[in-house]
Amino acid sequence: MGKRKGIIGNGLCHIYLIILSVIAFFPLLWVLLSSVKSSGELTSNPTKFLPEKFTLENFIHVINDLKFVDNIGNSLLIAFSVTIIAIIISSMAAYGIVRFFPRIGNVMSKALVTMYLFPPILLAIPYSFIMARLGLTNTRIGLVIVYLSFSVPYAVWMLVGFFKTVPIGIEEAAKVDGANKVQVFIKVVLPLVVSGIVATAIYTFINAWNEFLYALILINSTDLMTVSVKLRSLQGAEILNWGDMMAASTLVVVPSVIFFTIIQNKISGGLSEGAVK
Amino acid sequence: MKTKTKNYARWVFVLPALIVVTVLLIYPIFSSVFYSMTTKHLIKPSYEFVGLANYIDVLSDANFYRAFFHSIVWTVASLIGQIFVGFTAALAINRVKHAKGIYKTLLIIPWAFPSIVIALSWKWILNGVSGFIPNLLVQLGICDQLPQFLSEGNIVFLTLIMINIWFGAPMIMVNVLSALQTIPQDQYEAAQIDGASHLQQFIHITVPHIKVVVGLLVVLRTIWVFNNFDIIYLITGGGPADLTTTVPIYAYQMGWGTKLLGKSSAVTVLLLLFLLLICIFYFWIIAKWEKEDK
Repeated sequence: MGKRKGIIGNGLCHIYLIILSVIAFFPLLWVLLSSVKSSGELTSNPTKFLPEKFTLENFIHVINDLKFVDNIGNSLLIAFSVTIIAIIISSMAAYGIVRFFPRIGNVMSKALVTMYLFPPILLAIPYSFIMARLGLTNTRIGLVIVYLSFSVPYAVWMLVGFFKTVPIGIEEAAKVDGANKVQVFIKVVLPLVVSGIVATAIYTFINAWNEFLYALILINSTDLMTVSVKLRSLQGAEILNWGDMMAASTLVVVPSVIFFTIIQNKISGGLSEGAVK
Repeated sequence: MKTKTKNYARWVFVLPALIVVTVLLIYPIFSSVFYSMTTKHLIKPSYEFVGLANYIDVLSDANFYRAFFHSIVWTVASLIGQIFVGFTAALAINRVKHAKGIYKTLLIIPWAFPSIVIALSWKWILNGVSGFIPNLLVQLGICDQLPQFLSEGNIVFLTLIMINIWFGAPMIMVNVLSALQTIPQDQYEAAQIDGASHLQQFIHITVPHIKVVVGLLVVLRTIWVFNNFDIIYLITGGGPADLTTTVPIYAYQMGWGTKLLGKSSAVTVLLLLFLLLICIFYFWIIAKWEKEDK
């Protein structure tokens, strides 16, 4: 009796998950399929799945005529810079909070969450003035600086959770051996939290890669645009070319999905560990 | 001498982060509060101090209340949907014996989507002329004519909320799933020996173990969804006829559309105050839960 109920429950779970999977996966599939159809086929036969004639003309147009590769380069450069700088700053801070300021540690991590709640639209206004004053409007450096505003607090918050798992005994042993604070941090502590740092770095990278509002406000020349803003400018064109837009979307979303799939197990552990402890 | 270097070293660790926070978060907040009391304009260089006039203007604007109402509906409906789908998906994955990994991989995909691709892919799928779903609905005989999901006033907001649920549920699912896996299995075994039903096990073992994680997730998601600008801006731009204008979009249009940055600052400061209140309330509840656990 109990067993049969278990099998039915199991079956219902599978049905539910299959339905959800189809919904979750369909937009990606449709973007991919649409990107290799000709524009005639896209409009003449909207519900047909497979392309009658496989074509790369959309990709060629996007890469050659619209110079989308430059924008991918901008986004990569910005996201990598933000990730590296944010991870250095944040792992130092997280370790500092856990080891040297344990009493105010809780207050500090709560204060950091409070910063996460500052509306980006609120910050966008002063950022546009600050960057104008520094002469960094319409530069990639300006955007990297601005992106630190959301990456650093969140990364510190996540990393504090990981650093708390490092047993203090190991550090004491290293100190007895004559290592100073910085050596202990780099040689003893960091290797122990590498998986946490990787998860945090990937999360930081994805957030920087996906960001839209600040890039919209701070960048206005086409060759400096990030992929998000460039794609949006395609949408503003007079004649909407869905084939082009799907090809460009493919170039943006596929690496992101692959990345996510590779690190999915680390993310799942990472986020809640960072959030809870 | 020794204590001096010790004190110095520990500050070195936190100093860079403190600089980032001060320069990029605290200073801009104060500067926004300041600008919210001026006639600051996007292009004109000169401005005057006007006290609370901008706040009075905003708080007597019917459109602001409409945007605020839209924000509340957008946040509450999206969150309920995201939590329901994310939670049930996590429980289902936790329950099934096969293909856990495949489901997880497929269900996590929306989370990887940049907001511009969320917008473009759904705009294309729901396109009122050549979109897959509208044409499918007509071919199946469910609709007489192509439904206009993104321009018909009655359904456009619901469409946006559905898209937001599609995007946000994976994050909830992943976090609930990893919280579920921290529950010691022997507690379930002990409960089964005592003859507890599935529902009782769920209420007395599962819920107490994961409620703090879920609570924190809800805080973060509330803030994120309330502040979200990209999804609505990129899909409908707040239209048709301001039907989907939320507070962030209202503030953006005021700041970069009509170029009244002073007034726009006042809107965003009000938005921040509101979120602060919500956060204080949430943290009060979570602190209570944590106390109960101990």
